[in-house]
Amino acid sequence: MSRTVIVTGGSRGLGLAVARALLDGGYRVATCSRQPGDELPALLAAYPDTLFWHQATIGDAESTHAFIEAAVQRFGVPWALINNAGIAREGILATLPLVEVDHLIQTNLTGAIQVARAVLRHMLTRPGGGRIINISSIIGQRGYTGLAAYAATKAGLDGLTRALAREVGRRQITINSIAPGYLDTEMSGTLSGGQREQIVRRTPMGRLGTAADVVPSILFLLGDGARFITGQTLTIDGGITC
Amino acid sequence: MTDIDAMLALIARETARILADKGEAVAPVTADTAFLDGPLPFDSLDLATLIVALEGVTGKDPFRQGFRQFTTAGELAALYAAG
Repeated sequence: MSRTVIVTGGSRGLGLAVARALLDGGYRVATCSRQPGDELPALLAAYPDTLFWHQATIGDAESTHAFIEAAVQRFGVPWALINNAGIAREGILATLPLVEVDHLIQTNLTGAIQVARAVLRHMLTRPGGGRIINISSIIGQRGYTGLAAYAATKAGLDGLTRALAREVGRRQITINSIAPGYLDTEMSGTLSGGQREQIVRRTPMGRLGTAADVVPSILFLLGDGARFITGQTLTIDGGITC
Repeated sequence: MTDIDAMLALIARETARILADKGEAVAPVTADTAFLDGPLPFDSLDLATLIVALEGVTGKDPFRQGFRQFTTAGELAALYAAG
């Protein structure tokens, strides 16, 4: 029987690309988002037996719990979790509304912890190990003007990765972070033309990344070849942080 | 059989299952058996697994509102019986 992977935020961007690649690779995928978006319905039609979508708001504990339980009900205990859902809010911290700061932390960090907790409660009661991959960001490692709160949430995810790896390693559950650089997705749509040019100029590979640059590493970390890799952050950024 | 006795029997059964999954010999569990730093080859992750498993069977989570102190199987059984 194929393995099940839970992907949060699978209606667009990197989450959608991951879901598509997993389905193509024979995995079953349970994903959630606030809305199905423009592209997910076609994927649901193409994979009616192996793709499950549930409306959920990451950061809302009850909504998250309902999604995980529905996913387990549909496909059984998952093999892996991709903690992908996240939001970006740009603004100088001194003037960034506190409500935005709270929303960032609640979605990107608290939400990811809630999902990991809910999934681990199932993984722990089933022998056989598992995988959790947290999608962090190079912003959490290096920072970026106007993204202080966002950076804090992503750095927090890397801390979650390291601590949780120690906590559950003896159950053969690996926890790793993927830290993409600047991806050409909706989330980078707020970058000004000047900012994009500066990022491209500073990137040795000479371009922004795409979801397709990141997905293969996620597939690798899910596979048996990565069974002894845990607590690590894999940076995929075209060399901008090197 | 009282609620606590029934809970204790469930705790013993789930503990045995966790130990078996670890490849450890099944040890007897009585009301006085301490989970950690006692005779059981149990660690904190095993204890967390037990709590999750108990919730799965009983539908109860005595720790929903915060941690409550317990050391022995009997004390844990009492928390569920009271809930």
